[in-house]
Amino acid sequence: MSTPEVAASSLEQLGLVARRGQLQPLKTKDEVRAALETYSAYVVEVPAKHANAVKDVIQDALPDLRTSDFGHLRRVVQFKFLPPHLQKTFHPPSRLPRGDEDEHSDVPEDALAEELDTVRFFLVSPTRYIQPADLLLALRKKPPFDILPTAPRILYVTVPALAPTSAEQAAKWTIDYWPIAYKNTNPYGPHPSLVLRNTADLSYEAGHWLALAREAGRQISDLQLGENIGCVIVDKTKGVSNIIAVAGDCRWRSPVGATTPQQGQGNVMAHAVERAIAMVAKKRLRVANANPDLLDRPLFCDSPFTDLEKRFFAMDNLEPHGYLCVDLDIFITHEPCVMCSMAILHSRFRRCVFGRRVPLTGGLAADEAVKKGDGSIGAGNGLGHGIFWRPSELNWKFLAWDWVDEDENDTVLSIKDTLHI
Amino acid sequence: MDAESRAYHEAFMREAIAMAELALKSDETPVGCVFVRDGNIIGRGGNETNRTLNGTRHAEFVALASILQSNPITILEETDLYVTVEPCVMCASMLRQYRVRAVYFGCWNERFGGTGGVLNIHSDPSVDSPMPVFGGIFREEAIMLLRKFYVQENEKAPEPKQKKTRELKTEIAPTDIHAPKDAATKV
Repeated sequence: MSTPEVAASSLEQLGLVARRGQLQPLKTKDEVRAALETYSAYVVEVPAKHANAVKDVIQDALPDLRTSDFGHLRRVVQFKFLPPHLQKTFHPPSRLPRGDEDEHSDVPEDALAEELDTVRFFLVSPTRYIQPADLLLALRKKPPFDILPTAPRILYVTVPALAPTSAEQAAKWTIDYWPIAYKNTNPYGPHPSLVLRNTADLSYEAGHWLALAREAGRQISDLQLGENIGCVIVDKTKGVSNIIAVAGDCRWRSPVGATTPQQGQGNVMAHAVERAIAMVAKKRLRVANANPDLLDRPLFCDSPFTDLEKRFFAMDNLEPHGYLCVDLDIFITHEPCVMCSMAILHSRFRRCVFGRRVPLTGGLAADEAVKKGDGSIGAGNGLGHGIFWRPSELNWKFLAWDWVDEDENDTVLSIKDTLHI
Repeated sequence: MDAESRAYHEAFMREAIAMAELALKSDETPVGCVFVRDGNIIGRGGNETNRTLNGTRHAEFVALASILQSNPITILEETDLYVTVEPCVMCASMLRQYRVRAVYFGCWNERFGGTGGVLNIHSDPSVDSPMPVFGGIFREEAIMLLRKFYVQENEKAPEPKQKKTRELKTEIAPTDIHAPKDAATKV
């Protein structure tokens, strides 16, 4: 059977309907930073044939200049390639007669166009490197400005501080800021082609597994053992998806299996993700002919409780000799909390999809929350942790998506916004 | 920190180190912890990730699973944790969600520490109140335990790196690894 057939028949047997929607790749912490950070830079208007000479002047004047600061920016730009707002500001070039509008109108249109063609706009450096007066002085000492009658015209632009992470972003920045060079790489996150390939690979079945996760949450919350939160762990290493574990949240389950008053945070260790990961571990022990209940403790709630959990836990469908959750995918009804996000990272998952963002407690999204004046946090876009992709700090990374549901009336999954998933 | 309170904290850190040594004997990453309430140890734990094949079975989880079996969760609000290695990002979030009163640890964890080593989950903006942390108690002992483990072979890890040629280093410079990124968290 193909994957769509497997996904569809799994749900059909359970009487469930797949959720309809789109996968949306999460931005990494560095991508968020790259999209927001800008700096102010000098631009100097130079005669086209002297652009190289000016480059040498700048290099001599600013020996500490790092090309990494502007490697993503076009250094020498023709007037016609400037973004509209800069064309407006920089027009007309200084070597043309300047003054009031009436004087301009005397210049024939084609002569003006020709003049514009002989002018280049040279991106000098971030303004923090040199004072404008010192820059002027350096430029006037060498050709062409040592002989030109007019002083070099120094202009200011705001530019993105970091390289673009996609062709779309480069195109947008070229219009919004300054012409951008896109090198078809993403230094701040997974390569766009990798994301595209994996998005396509999961786009059909994601809605199915999210529906299954929702059912896991429903069954457990009907028993009043936990919140309406669930997750599904899938193995797609062989091309066809196998459901390895299904688990719901168990924070309100007492040590002896009874329901407890829903006050405080409940049993944090029994979040759905923690339980599902533990079920994978138990399956691994079972496949290896070891005792699956080794070192088990009731508080972990890592035995299946609902029909749905039991059904998939019973299947011996895990490859032997595997390590943790390497190569497995996890689908969760909601964005996992910081603890569960890091549990996913510790377990070496390959991919993670969650059905709904949880800005005040979620650990995966990299967007920042808004800090209020009194130090508390308001409903911004998120805590800014981006725990799925921080390769310079954490020892594993995985791909992550949130889900844009087509059914806007989907209130089944609404939860208190301060709840940790 | 005065001599008297230092002796108080060190006594509990000794107990945490004993748990780490126990973990090492079981071929586990040598991290151990004890939870202390009113001057009494109410629970102990050592890392169990290798034996359970579960990467989340850190010492803190193991100890809390026993404690909460017979105590209400609210007891943790007046309980302190002593752990040989800085809690990881996962455990830091767990401890803060449980409202554990304070965390005392030995060495910093530069690979995935959650209380200053890599991230600051104990103090970052959150719906939970911040959790005080104090690092550096018997730091050298904690590092030596980890080094002893890393010269052993971890048979369960995929594509194990060649460890037979590794030697156990015994010198620990003050500015050596397992130092805080932000010195403010140091005792």
